[in-house]
Parts: sequence; structure tokens; C-alpha cells
Amino acid sequence: MPQIRVLPDLLINQIAAGEVVERPASVLKELLENAVDAGSRSIEVALEQGGVRRIRVADDGCGIVREQLALALDRHATSKITSLDDLEHVATMGFRGEALAAIAAVARTTITSLAEGERHAWRIDASDRQPAPAALNHGTVVEVADLYYNTPARRKFLKTEATEFAHCDEMFRRVALARPDIAMQLSHNGRVIHRLPPVEHTKRAAALLSDDFIHHARPIDADSGILRLSGLAALPAYSRANRDAQYFFVNGRFVRDKLLTHAVRQAYADILHGQRHPAYLLFLELDPAGVDVNVHPAKIEVRFRDARAVHQFVFHAVSRSLAAPGAAATGLDAESGPARLPSYRQPDQTHPAAIQSRLAMDSGARDAYRGFVATAKPEALGHSPASLTSVGAADTSMARIAATHTDDDAPLGFALGQLHGVYILAQNRDGLVLVDMHAAHERILYERLKTVLDGRPAVQRLLIPAVFGIGSKEMATAEQCADVLAEMGFEIAPAGPTQLTVRTVPALLANAAIPELVRELLGELADFPASQVVTARRNELLATMACHAAVRANRQLTLAEMNALLRDMERTERADQCNHGRPTWTQLGMADLDRFFMRGQ
Amino acid sequence: MHLLTTTRDAILAPLQSVAGIVEKRHTLPILSNVLIEKHGEQLTMLATDIEIQIRTTTAGDLGGSDASLTVGARKLQDILRALPDSAEVNLTLDDKRLTVKAGKSRFALQTLPAADYPRMNLPEGEGTRFQVTQKTFKRLLAQVSYAMAQQDIRYYLNGLLVIVDGGELRMVATDGHRLAYAAAPIEADLPRTEVILPRKTVMELARQLGDADDALEVVLAGNQSVFRFGPIELVSKLIDGKFPDYERVIPQNHPTTITFDRAPLLSALSRVAILTSDKFRGVRLVLEDGLLRIVSSNNEQEEAQEELEIDYHGDALDIGFNVTYLLDVLNNVSHEQIEWHLADGNSSALITVPGNAHFKYVVMPMRI
Ligand SMILES: Nc1ncnc2c1ncn2[C@@H]1O[C@H](COP(=O)(O)OP(=O)(O)O)[C@@H](O)[C@H]1O
Ligand SMILES: [Mg+2]
Repeated sequence: MPQIRVLPDLLINQIAAGEVVERPASVLKELLENAVDAGSRSIEVALEQGGVRRIRVADDGCGIVREQLALALDRHATSKITSLDDLEHVATMGFRGEALAAIAAVARTTITSLAEGERHAWRIDASDRQPAPAALNHGTVVEVADLYYNTPARRKFLKTEATEFAHCDEMFRRVALARPDIAMQLSHNGRVIHRLPPVEHTKRAAALLSDDFIHHARPIDADSGILRLSGLAALPAYSRANRDAQYFFVNGRFVRDKLLTHAVRQAYADILHGQRHPAYLLFLELDPAGVDVNVHPAKIEVRFRDARAVHQFVFHAVSRSLAAPGAAATGLDAESGPARLPSYRQPDQTHPAAIQSRLAMDSGARDAYRGFVATAKPEALGHSPASLTSVGAADTSMARIAATHTDDDAPLGFALGQLHGVYILAQNRDGLVLVDMHAAHERILYERLKTVLDGRPAVQRLLIPAVFGIGSKEMATAEQCADVLAEMGFEIAPAGPTQLTVRTVPALLANAAIPELVRELLGELADFPASQVVTARRNELLATMACHAAVRANRQLTLAEMNALLRDMERTERADQCNHGRPTWTQLGMADLDRFFMRGQ
Repeated sequence: MHLLTTTRDAILAPLQSVAGIVEKRHTLPILSNVLIEKHGEQLTMLATDIEIQIRTTTAGDLGGSDASLTVGARKLQDILRALPDSAEVNLTLDDKRLTVKAGKSRFALQTLPAADYPRMNLPEGEGTRFQVTQKTFKRLLAQVSYAMAQQDIRYYLNGLLVIVDGGELRMVATDGHRLAYAAAPIEADLPRTEVILPRKTVMELARQLGDADDALEVVLAGNQSVFRFGPIELVSKLIDGKFPDYERVIPQNHPTTITFDRAPLLSALSRVAILTSDKFRGVRLVLEDGLLRIVSSNNEQEEAQEELEIDYHGDALDIGFNVTYLLDVLNNVSHEQIEWHLADGNSSALITVPGNAHFKYVVMPMRI
């Protein structure tokens, strides 16, 4: 019979390390969090060989006094909490007091620290635990070398230097994104990778994330009093094939939490294609008592006391920011801070429409303007008064129409024409607007279908029922989901083992290609047969329907039809992306156009 | 080389009757041209879009030499239209350029060789032939053509079904939501023949046929049809497809029949239509004892209501329709009165003309 024994400390720590110290990046995470917890204003990280050879984290925090250096290396020794009550309100990154012990069990670890009020620094080596005098100006330096030197089995699991470094880099970014107020530096094999001065959030994000992300990002700032969500969410035009651009922080702690991911995903559901992943940088803040961070060894998952409320709040905050119409493509400019939307820019003087509205002023004001031009641009003296008079004299209804046409009530402007049956060109105050006609119409239909189906949809009964062949699997779905389809306006019945009859269609889609539409709906329903899931999937079905009914490319539209589409877009929530997450329109400003012709350079 | 000298209208009139089918922008450049053949005192013009071909032959005092050429149809038409009515026009062909002279105006146009111009072969074999007055054919077209589908993937609905059977000519069109049927007797005794005319052919015939008793000769053979009237010969391909069985769709025994004066009903519907939701244009017809209420509302919660006194004494009935479908029929029949046959809110409505079995219109309701 095997004997039960108490394990030696080193082995216990090595076992614990298995959970906490997975790879160099997890060591770095613990060290960075300790530095943050120590109240540092500046943190420097130096890595060698992807962190396997050496990880050195130097901070300027509170330091550790000589007597406690050895204690810091002990298991379950922490300065951060003393009671269960503390644990429930914990606001520091660390609290278990086991990281340094675990790290010291699997790597050669030294700590050098100058605690406030001490005359000189002390240094402790985890192997002998004897503090010795050392030189250091401030804070703490933790050095971790030769990871897994004593556990070769684990060493085998390490990946290439480049991969391990990439993980460390990501870990560094997470802390850096969470704490833009701390100056941070990362170097690898002697080369500086990041040097980040203390700034505010947007600037730090701009320094660490791609320009594209920043360019496509919508600012978020929602506050319920209890919960606060801030940060950036990228429009679907900047969606990713993987989850690498998803940063969610809860009280400054990076998490990858199912509930939160789901809430954000939901907010994107209407505008992002299923295979794509949204990109975001979000900070949720709440009373630490409202969230349990002690549920995962690496604290990457959390548990909220009121999970539903958090889900709702995050979902609404993100969807509201994504839904606000009128700011496609150029959401944010890192230089000028969030929410400077191009459509609301002041009219600038190079813009013809802006000049026309000036000319519509009374003559006194016009003279004043002329005087301004004369003094401001002496080189144009011979030229401008004449042209001003002639245009001024022609203060006709055309000029007035042009002026009203650039009013704020038509942010997307007025149609000029159609390009190859695909795009609508329109003029607004800022310049040229390009609209993807099909995508925009699809979007509008989708939103309209959604509101209509919330009531009882108008249904057109067919004189000639649509009869078409379907597969036996589709037929099974059709029979199972007949109620759901009827609710949406499709009355269906089998006309044979592989033939389906459709007797009614939603009136909004009366002219759509019914067989294709129904086949596709059945395809989607087949994957999610349970009736509850179907309600959740309703919007995806609507998207399919909208796509089928939207104007196809190559339909010639009249100017009136185009303008109607533009107005519809302005009225429609989330009109800036089609259901597949592509943008529906974009703006080419006068400045962009001038650049084509090298004007004003 | 001098081709001809004649009045402006002697060239413009035949040109206008063929140029309507020329596609504005065609991938085959020569198809934006019209073929002009001058042979003795005969002037023939021909245009095609590959699906339809129209030819006119006119005779007159032309002078000049014989030649065949093709030239931009629209340009020539625009030039001739812009000349004074009374102008005398002179055409000469030199080195592939056609010069149009009138008074002090002079235009030189590029031509393409006549031999390259695609021509549709006339159908072979006897086929089905009959004659009908242009007036009758045109009236039937007007009574049904608005019900054709547009750009439906059931391509055969984007056309008009023409049936000759014994001594009767019938036309049917449907877009799947409503169906229009009209018939007229013809002097013939023909085996039953059904063809589907493409939309463009229907529109062209409706445009060009006259309102008089002049004859129209129709030949249906193979996958083609030929229409000859006046100086015009129109050849059209037919749509190959199975048109829905219209007889099954026309209801036989609807219990309720209401007679309306067409004009007041049309006006009431037109007014109510103003406040329908522009996407599906639904109106509700509410029948009560002796009264019809027509009501509509739109997305902005605006409402319209009209009342008509009617001879109805059954149960109350509430039935919705796309108002466009109702306006279409009322606008396109010319009779003083119409009859409305109803069953219930889920069944089709049949609209006919009193004492006349030659016109039927079936429309499906809409649940609003
Ligand atoms: N960089 C540092 N500056 C100041 N004190 C530190 C630093 N790193 C660790 N410590 C001290 O060592 C203790 C143990 O650290 P650790 O094992 O990571 O546990 P925890 O962070 O969970 O408390 C901390 O509670 C803290 O008092
Ligand atoms: Mg710690």
C-alpha cells in the first residue's frame, strides 16, 4: 500500500509553478504585476533569449525592506491582503503570495530592492536566502534566469525563442495598455522594442495597436454609476480573422472572459460576418467587490456578482457606439483625440459650396468678405474681386440650392450619379461620398425587416405559389420550422417528397427570388433547430432575406431613387456597415481630392 | 456618291419606328447602328437587338444610286429631329462616311458595312397565321401587359402569354401576385397555340400599333413570331417556358359580388394610396352592411380613410391588398363599371366587367 507523505516545500512550489509558470511570459506577467502593485511610475523589462535565458524587471516602486526579502519568496506570503474581507475587495493584481515562490522554484531568482527609508539596497538570492548589501537607486529589480534549469521535462515544452518572445511581448502590451500612466520599456537581447512614455489611454493605444485599428475605432464611454466601460471598438471594416486584437480589462486586469466576449460579440452580431472577429480595447471598471478574480490560476477569467447586468451593460455600450450613424471609416484620429467626426467639420474655405453660402449673405457682409480676401491674399488682388462680383451677381436660386444642399440635415449629401451600376456618387459638405448601393440597401432593408417583424409582418399571398425542389434534409427542416417561417411571413407546405410550395411571402420581399431565399433560410435554420435558438438566429435570417431583396448591382437608379437611398441610410441605425460588416459608404474629402491633383502643395 | 434626296419626314418616320429597340449601350458597336438599304425608289430600314428585329419598307421619289450601309441610329435620328419639318434632306456616301445635308447644315457620319449587320432569319414552315385589327390587339395588350413581372427569375413571367384557340385570341400576364386575362374573337379557326412574347416586344407593339381597324398579320412559328402592320415587320424571339395554368388560378364560385362605378373607386383608392407605407403599399378594404371603407396607414402612423356606399349585405369582411395592383386594373380597363367577386380574407379577389366574359383580373390579398 503506498504511503501518504507530506511533500517537501520545493516540490510543492514546483507543482504550483506548473499552474502559474507556464512559460517565460507567465513569469513576466507576475513580475510586471508586482511592479504595478508596488506603485511604480516607471518599469523597465529586459529579456534575453525570449525570456528563457533571463527576465529582468526593474521598477521604481515602494521596494521591499531587508527583513521581508526572504518572506517575499515564501509561499503564501503576501503584503497585499490579510483577511477574507480583503480578498473580497482586492484591488491589487496579486494577492495569493505564491508567484515569487513558484518562480524561484523553477528558475534562478534574485531580488534587489531599496525600500523607502533604507540607506542602501539589499539583494537576495533565492538559493541561499541571505540578504546582502547591494547598489540600487530606487525600487526593485527582479531577475529570473535559466527558466526550468532544474526541471528539464518542462524545458522541452518551450517553443522557439521568437515564439516565447512574442508571448512576452503580448504580456507586456497588455500591462502597457492597462496602465498608460506608467512609463514602460521593453528590450530583447539588448535591443529596445518599446519605449513608452506615460500618456493617456488613446495615445498609449495608438502607440501599441495598428494605425488601422485606431483609424477604424469608435470611442466608447458609458457609465452607469456602478459600471463604467471605456475604450475603443473598431468598426467591422477592421475585423480580424482571429482574436488577436481583443483587449478587455476588468479593473485594469487583462481578462479573456466568456461572458464579456459574448456581450461584445453580440453587439457586433448585426454587422460582422460570422467568421470574423471584432477588434477592441475595452476597460470595464467596477467596485472590486462586484467581481471575483480568484477563480483562475492566471486570473484570466473572472466571475461577476451580477453577471447579467454586466452583460447587458457591455452589450448596450458597445452596440450604441457602433450604431451611431454618420462616422464611417474615419472614426478617430489619434492626434486629436476621440470622436472628431469628419462630417461635422467646419466648412473650409477651399470648398466651393462654402464659398457659395458666403455669397448668399447680405451685401454688407459680402463687401466685408471681399475686403478680407483683398487684405489676406494680396497676390490674388487682380483676380478675385472680378470673380467675386460675377458670382455674387449670380446670386441665383441655383446657388441657394447648392447652399441648402450642403446643410447638416443631409450628412451624406446629394446624389451626382451612379458608377458602373455599383456605386452611388454623392456630394456633401466635405466632398465626395461613395456608397455601395447593394450593401447600403441591404442594410436598410435589414433594419426595416427587423422593426417590421417585431410587429406582425404584412404578408403577400401568392397567386402562383412558388414550387421548387429541395433536399430531404431541407424538407425535414421545413416541416420542423414551419411555425418560425410562418411567423416571418412564409407559409410553406410540402408538395411532394422533395418539393416545397410557398404560398405567402413577407410583403417587403414580395419581389425577391423566393426559391433561393427559402433554401437559404432553411439552410440556416437546419443548423439551429431548437426553437429558442431560432429566435436568437432571427437576425441572421433577416440578414439573408435582406441580402436577397436588396437592389442588385447594375440596376440603373434615377437621381431621385439615389437620394431616397441616401436619406434612408441617414435614418437607419447602423447604416455604416452592411450585414456582412463591409462598410456601406466612404468619404473622399476635398483635401483628399486636392491631393490627387497636388493642389495646395 | 449621291444616295437620295427627299423630305425630312420620309427618312425620320421609318427611322423612328425601328430605332426604338436599339440599345443605347451595346457591347457590339454595330448594334447601335441602323441598317439602311436604298434600292431604286425603295427605302428599307432595319434595327435589331438580336432578340427583336424591326424592318420598315417605304417607297417614294428618292433619286440617287443604290447602296446599303449602317450608321448610328440615335445620332441620325437626333439630327433629323433637329432639322426643320419642311427641310429637304440629301444623303451621300463617300469613303465610308454618310453625309447628311439640309439647307446650310451638313453632317458627316461614320458608317459600318451593311454585310456585318446581324439579321434574324424569318421562321421556317407555315406555323400559325392569323389576322386581327391593330386596334383589337392593342386593346388586349393594354388590358393585360401591366401585370407582367419585371426581372423575375421565373423568366417566363417577364412576358405575356398569347393564345389562339379556334376563333379566339387570348392574352394573359401575371407577376405571381395578380393576373390579368383578356380575350377577343378573331376570324379564324386555328388549332390551339400558345406562345410567350418577351416584355420588350410587348412594349414595342403597344407603342407602334395603331388605334384603327387596319390589319395586323401575326405568324407564330418555331421559337419566333412575326408581326406585320403597315410598312412595319417586327420579328421577335419567343420565351421558351411553361406559363402557369391561368385557368386554375381564376376563381369560379366566389359567393360575394359587388358592383362599383369604376371612376369613384379609382379616385378613392388613389387618395388612400397616398398614406400607404411606400414599401408595400397595403390598403384594407372593410366591407360592412351597405358600406365599403378603404383605410391605409403608413410607418409614421398617419392614416387615411375613404367610404363608398355599396350594395353589400353579407357579413363584415376585412381584406387587405397592395393598392398598386388595384389601381393598375382600374386604370387600364375603360368600362364604366366593374364587378368585384370576393370570398374571404385569404382568397383571391376576381375583378370583371359586367356582362362580359372577355376580361378577368385576379389579385391575391395581403395580410396587413
Ligand atoms: N516589485 C516589487 N516591489 C515591491 N514589493 C514586491 C515586489 N515584488 C514582490 N513584492 C512583495 O513580495 C510579495 C510576494 O509577491 P508574490 O509572490 O508575487 O505575491 P503577491 O503578488 O500575490 O502578493 C508581495 O506581496 C510584495 O509584498
Ligand atoms: Mg504577485
